[in-house]
Formats: sequence, structure tokens, C-alpha cells
Amino acid sequence: MWIEMTLNGKPVAVEAPPDISLLDLLRDYLNLTGTKEGCAVGECGACAVIMDGRLVNSCMVLAPQAHGSEVITIEGVHGPDGGPNDLQQNFIEYGAVQCGICIPGMIMAGEALLMHNPNPSRQEIRMGLAGNLCRCTGYQQIVDAIEATAKGRQKG
Amino acid sequence: MSHFTQPLEYVGRPAQRVDALDKVMGRAKYIADYRVPGMLHARCLRSTLPHARIARLDTTPALRVPGVRAVITSDDFVDHGLYGFPVKDKYMLAYQKVRYVGEAIATVAADTPQAALAGAQAILCELEPLPALFDATRALDPDAPQVGPDRKNGNREHPNLKSDHMLVCKGNAEAELADCPIVLDRRYFTDWQEHAYIEPEGVLAIPTPEGGVVVYAPNQSPFINQNNLAMVLGLPINLVRVIQPTVGGSFGGKDDIIYESSAQAAKLALVTGRPVRMVFSREESLVASYKRDAMHMHIRLGADRDGTLRACWFRGILDSGAYASETPFTAWRASIHAMGAYRYNACDVDVYCVYTNNGYAGAFRGFGNPEVCFAVEQTVDELADMLGMDPIDLRLKNCLRLGDETAHGQKLDESMGLVECINTVRRLSDWDRKRAEYSRQTSTEKRRGIGVAIMYHGMSLGAEGADYAGATISVLPDYSVDLTSGLTDYGTGSRTVFTLIAAEELGVRPDRIRIQRPDTNTAIESGPTVASRTTVLGGNAMRAAARNLRQTLDLAAADLLRCDPQQLIRVGESYVGPDEEAVAWEKIVDHAREMGLILSAHGKWEAPKIVWDHHHGRGTPYMAYVYGAQVAEVEVDLRTGNTQVLHLWAVHDIGKVIFPQGAYGQLYGGITQGLGYALTEQITYRDGYIQETNFESYLIPTSVDVPEITAQFVESSYSYGPYGAKNIAEPSLVPTAPAIANAIAHATGRRVRELPMNLERVLLGHDLQPPASRDAAIRGVWMETRSMPQTPAPAAPRIYA
Repeated sequence: MWIEMTLNGKPVAVEAPPDISLLDLLRDYLNLTGTKEGCAVGECGACAVIMDGRLVNSCMVLAPQAHGSEVITIEGVHGPDGGPNDLQQNFIEYGAVQCGICIPGMIMAGEALLMHNPNPSRQEIRMGLAGNLCRCTGYQQIVDAIEATAKGRQKG
Repeated sequence: MSHFTQPLEYVGRPAQRVDALDKVMGRAKYIADYRVPGMLHARCLRSTLPHARIARLDTTPALRVPGVRAVITSDDFVDHGLYGFPVKDKYMLAYQKVRYVGEAIATVAADTPQAALAGAQAILCELEPLPALFDATRALDPDAPQVGPDRKNGNREHPNLKSDHMLVCKGNAEAELADCPIVLDRRYFTDWQEHAYIEPEGVLAIPTPEGGVVVYAPNQSPFINQNNLAMVLGLPINLVRVIQPTVGGSFGGKDDIIYESSAQAAKLALVTGRPVRMVFSREESLVASYKRDAMHMHIRLGADRDGTLRACWFRGILDSGAYASETPFTAWRASIHAMGAYRYNACDVDVYCVYTNNGYAGAFRGFGNPEVCFAVEQTVDELADMLGMDPIDLRLKNCLRLGDETAHGQKLDESMGLVECINTVRRLSDWDRKRAEYSRQTSTEKRRGIGVAIMYHGMSLGAEGADYAGATISVLPDYSVDLTSGLTDYGTGSRTVFTLIAAEELGVRPDRIRIQRPDTNTAIESGPTVASRTTVLGGNAMRAAARNLRQTLDLAAADLLRCDPQQLIRVGESYVGPDEEAVAWEKIVDHAREMGLILSAHGKWEAPKIVWDHHHGRGTPYMAYVYGAQVAEVEVDLRTGNTQVLHLWAVHDIGKVIFPQGAYGQLYGGITQGLGYALTEQITYRDGYIQETNFESYLIPTSVDVPEITAQFVESSYSYGPYGAKNIAEPSLVPTAPAIANAIAHATGRRVRELPMNLERVLLGHDLQPPASRDAAIRGVWMETRSMPQTPAPAAPRIYA
């Protein structure tokens, strides 16, 4: 079947079987491999994307459910010059990245959180990341990076 | 010109991880992201019995499945694919027997993942059940089912004994204990732990025109993989190349299981002449991969009434499952650390590992020390409780100090920061006030507790083997600097450490430097990337390489500036001679080339020799040690057994810190794994069947389970370390679980002597026993792959502007 959506700001139409996940659609049909598979059961958040303004685990979304929706993946997150945006830059500056496999999902979770709560407390940031597993960092520097980004965006 | 007296410009200063940009942009390529034209997909047939004879294995039905291109078994490898170090006891695919649920028996390559799965399911495999062994404490009984390989050449040891008895002996511990007014006799058990790297295992093998193979493998130690591949494929080593792509976490876990996958994919690539990729699902990863061993421990600690420790007697049995992997080394490291970082008059330690049919165990961060630290640090705490002493005071009274001799007979004559770690963590955590306050609680609902644990951890391999590393450095035509190391970065930050060291020695900006991906074609074999050895071994090698190159450039600069090399000074990257005119680094490089000098160098470093007498349990097990102390504050719900960790403080002596952001990251991350080990991470083998096959049942800490962590480093310089550095990767998680255990005991007044300290163990003091289930593990072995494109190349998206 044909699936049409707005992907990272651009309209896209792709033909794919109806029984695959949005994750597989992104990775195998659209070649967007920044979104990762960690568990395929909605537990780890490595596949998190923003769909119609909500953070979703793309492994838990059937590809046809994305038809007509607006999807943002890690490939759609960047600064005006194509380099890192402020959140990504803060992930680098605060040491929030180790092996990096969870990081695309973490960036998406961070963006989704800041969309809904521009001035979160550290505990609210932790709640916002609770669906994203990281095995390397202990989360602390990730929380630091999101907190700094929120403060930076508040200042405008 | 002397480098030692100059302030460091890059080492120890704020820096950013060299590979962070690609990772935050989603551009870093992990093994599952690789796609090459014509690529086949591989899938294993895995055992559904814990112990069985392979009565029949017929792969021809699989070859009739549409899309299947090839099937291999152990017959396709030299010597049936036998490999393993230090014990050669495992096959790249099972030969004659299977010994755990999930063991690979045959591997299929097909056009699609679905066809590969269908092919694996079509194989005719008859398994004839054998009596199985699940209780490690009964493994050496005369009538225990034999799991280990047959003994050879008249060796009469029990075939289930996997390792030597690892001994530490000082004086006569039995006699000393008999003379102690206070003796604690305690048993502890630590459960299996899964590495739970968020990237499951995978590998990509590409056949080469000259009959060799290039393997992209997210392993820790590419040279070991290369050696194994050459051996089981019967290829000369120069036809096997192993490249490490970006690795999505490892923690000790991506060695043997990746070597096996590499051998299978490489053989299939050679047979089919096409690239072959194999990527595990999470379920397959949990069922098939090795774990941290489970350990049964028995400790007797003797002391005087004033709290002076006198004797430690320790017995440990590692349930390390069906194959040896690296567990004999784990047993050795456990034995060395079993008595903790304390002074004793006498010590008697005996640790060994046994075969069972409970999966299999291998390397995992900490490597035996987290297990024994859980036992000794709780026993020491209990002693403090009995004597009415403060647990930190008791530790300060007995802990190793500069100039002391360890229980093994090693004199600690430098780089000893343990007391400073303990005093600092006491102050940071407001220990004395909280300890007193929480001792007076009367609530029957929730109570708080605060607990401490200390540790030491031997650096690098010690007596496990030859300890050396190599590195290369060269200046490229565009004036960038290119590095290689035989030691790898699987998320640890060592690429950044090497970059900072090269920048420091060469006097150039880090952004001029690029470090290549680990590749057996370009890097120098440096032993395995394990044992937290990369910063010291690889760092020293990189420092030597950069100094060699620096010497060449200094000669060119002296020639150009017509002076003696000693007269040169550096201003930024530029060279300045006696006439005080700054000459750009690029000009010096050009001049060196005009002189015909070669602008590449290599460096090697070998650790100081150590001596260990295995028979008498005496010697110098490691070149030196790192030290640490952690404090945990918890709140326990007395109605449910739920434990919330409110805050953690960690102070570790790791020598000079080279890459601060990375060192803190290692510490936070290790503590978090230790927190999971303490409270929620449980691998249950029921009759050999693993019960936890995904993250909905294997619970690693989330961002709300981990509290804020306060961390600090003590930098007691180590003379053999680069710039005085030691290491941090493994030690970070060692004391976390016992610190939490001691905090729970402080809150509840009850000791939990088993890991993990789950709700029922904290509340009831024992397990609830659900009925045994084979289903989860079998589902893991046979998890259906989700739909994938039927054509290997994905359809190009149409984009409407």
C-alpha cells in the first residue's frame, strides 16, 4: 500500500506492506537509519520519533497508522545550517553521549519534552526520559544537557 | 625541552568526545545500519534443550526453502570450529552436543530475514535429551551429569571443574580465626547479570576477490576475532580483516558471542560469494549471549573486639554455565579481591568455576570484583553493627594505606588514595548526621538508611597475560594527524583520550587529529580491550608514538630555524627559535618532508612485569590498584519491600584524569549498572530456560530509578600511567550494590544476602517461586522477525516538492 506523510517537513509517499512498523518503514524503505531498534517491544525508546507532536516508539506504530501524519526523526533535527541544534550541541558539551545508540531517541524525547514543557525541573526531565533506556551514561549528563537547553531557550 | 614541567594544555582540560557530533546527528553507523548490494541475511538454528546430543542434523530441507542460499554447521569449520581462551571448549556452531538453551547449531543465509528464519525452521534437527546440571554447588558431585568436555591424558579432575582453584594464602587463616574473639560466618549469592547493551549483536561479512573476508564486527577485541576467524576458516591471517564499526555498548559482552557470529557470517560469505549480515533481535540476544556469572560465596571474617580485622577465609564457586569463555580469569580476579581492601594477619581464599547448563557466562564489567565486594563489604558492615562501631570508622581502622602490604604480599608504595576517598565521601554525603538521624526512625511505613562500601581494583590484566599495546601516528598531506590504536572504543571514550594525548605530545590542536576506526589492517595488535586497560596501556603507547613523531618534527624545526632542538619553544602550534619568529606547524611539516624525513611513527608500551605464584597464592597480582568509596542513601517501603535510592556519592582514586567529561560519564554509568545489579536486574534460569527475554522483564534502571549522583575524583598520580593516570571503567560499579545493601540494612535492620535485592527479598527475606516455564526462552530462540522488504534494496521514496 502507499503511505503518505510529512517526514521531516517534506511530503513523502512510499509503497510498503501494510503489516510493518513505522520503524521498519523508516529504516528499510526510507533509508533513515538514525532511528534505532533496541527491543522492538516498546520498552527502550531507541526508536522514538515525534508523530503529530507526540513522542512515540516507532516500533509500536504500524506504518499505515503514520499515513497522513507529520513525523520528525533524528534526521529532521538540526540547526539552521544543517549542523547540530542547541539541544544536540548541549548533548556534546555536557558529555551526554557515550556509545550513542540511545542518543537519537534521547534527542527526540528531549525535544518532545521541551515542546510541551519549556521550563522543566530536573525531576520532570527525568520523567520525560523515563521511556528511553541508556546503559552507558546513568542519565545524569543527559539531564544536564536538556536542562541547559531549556534555560537557553527561555532566554531566547 | 622538557615536557614534564610545562602545564598540560589538553590533558585533563575540558574536551568533547570526538565522535559525539555524528552520534547526536544520527549519522553514526552501527552494524544494523550497514547495507551493501547483494547482501544476504543470516539466522541461526538454536538449541531448545539445555543439554542434549545432536542425534540428527539434516540441512537439506532448508536449502529447498525459497530464498535460502546456504546453510552451515560445525562440519564447515576447521576442527569443527573449536575455539576459546583460556579454555578451548566451545564451537562456532554446536558439535555433537548442545549445552545450553539458545546455543547455535546451524546458520542459514537467505535473501531476506524471513527466508532465513524459514530456512532455520526447516532444518531437521533431532536433539536427544541428556541429564542436565543446574545447581553449581552440586557440579562436582561424583554423580553429577557431565557438562564439561572429557578430560585428556589421565587428568582425573572432575570434568565439571572449569578452572583451577584460584588461591590467595597468607599465614594460617584457620588458626587465626580460632583465636579471634569475634568471627562472622556468612553466605552470599549474586545472580547472573545481562550486559544489556542497547545495540543487540550483529555482524557483516564481505567476501574479497582474493578469497578472503572482511568482517565488520562490533567486538571489543578485533585481533582476537581475526585470529579465531583465520583458525576456523583455514585462511592465512592476512586474508582476514576485522573492522570495528561504531559499537552500541558492550561492557564486556561483545567478545565471544560476536566471534561466533563473525565466524558464521564469514563462512556463509565465503560459501555464497555474497555479503552476509546477521543482526540479533533483543530476544535472541538475551537467550544466546553470555552473562555475568552467578556466584555462591561463603566468607568468615575474624576480628578483635576493638574492630581490628585479623583473618579472612573465603570460598567462592562461580556458576559460569556451559562454556568457559573468560570465566577462569573472572575467578582469578574474584580471588584476588575477595578479602576487600583491608589489612589481615591471615587470609585463605579459594575460588573456582564450574560447568552447568545455565546459559554461559563470560566477561562483564568488574569481572568478579562486584560479586566478592558484595559479600565482603556487607560482612565488614555487619561487624561494625555488632561492635556498635560506625561503619566508616571501622573501615578507616582497617583499610589499606600507603606503605601497607596487601594480603597477597604486594607492597603499596605509590598512588594510594583510598583514605582520601573515604574521608571525602563521608563529608560529601553528610554521613555522620544522616547515620545518626536514620538510626532513630520508628516509622512502620517508610524508613531511610545510609550505607557505605569501599573497594580496590587491580589495573589491567595483571597475571592473566602479556600486557602490552601499540599505536601509530602520522601526518597526512592536508596536515591533519592520523592515529590508530589496537585498543578500541565501544562507547568508553578512549578515542578522545588518545586524541588528547596525541595533541598534548605533538603540540597541535585536537581538531587537527582524526583517529581511525579500529582495523586489523592498520592498527597494531595490542591484546584485548578489556580490564579497564585502555587508558594506561593504549594511552602510554599513543604517548610514545606521538613523542617519536614529535622528535622528528623537532629535528626539522631545529634545521629550519638553525638552532639546537633544545632551544625550540612552542607558542600554540607554532615553533619559535632563537630569533623569536614564530613558524607555523605546517611549515615545519613541509620542511621535514623536504629533508626526506618520514612523518609517521609508532609507539609501544609494555606494563611492568608482575609475578604471581598460582600454587601458593602469593605475589604481585597487578601493577597497581585504583580505589573508591561510595555511599548510598535509600528509602525502603516496609510494606512492599520497594527500595528507592535517593542519592549516591562516589569518590574514586583513578590517578590523573585525562578526559574529565568522559571519566565522570564512566563513573555515572557504572554506578547505574551497579544500581540495577543491586535492585532489579535478575536473570533466572529455570531448568536451564532463561525467563527474562526482553526489557519488559529484564529491568535495567531508567532515568527515574537513578538518583542524582555526586561524584569526585582523587588524583593520586601513578608513575607508570600516562601523566599519572590509572583507570575507571570497571571500578565504578564495584561498590554500588554493597553500598545499597548496607543502606537497606541500616533502614530495615535486616541483611539481604542475595542479589538482586528485589521486593520479596527485602520484604520477606526469601524468593517467591513461580512455576518453571520454558516458553519465554523458546520464544526468544524462535522470535518471528517482523516483516521486512522482500527485495534487498529499499524502494526509493518519492518526494513531492
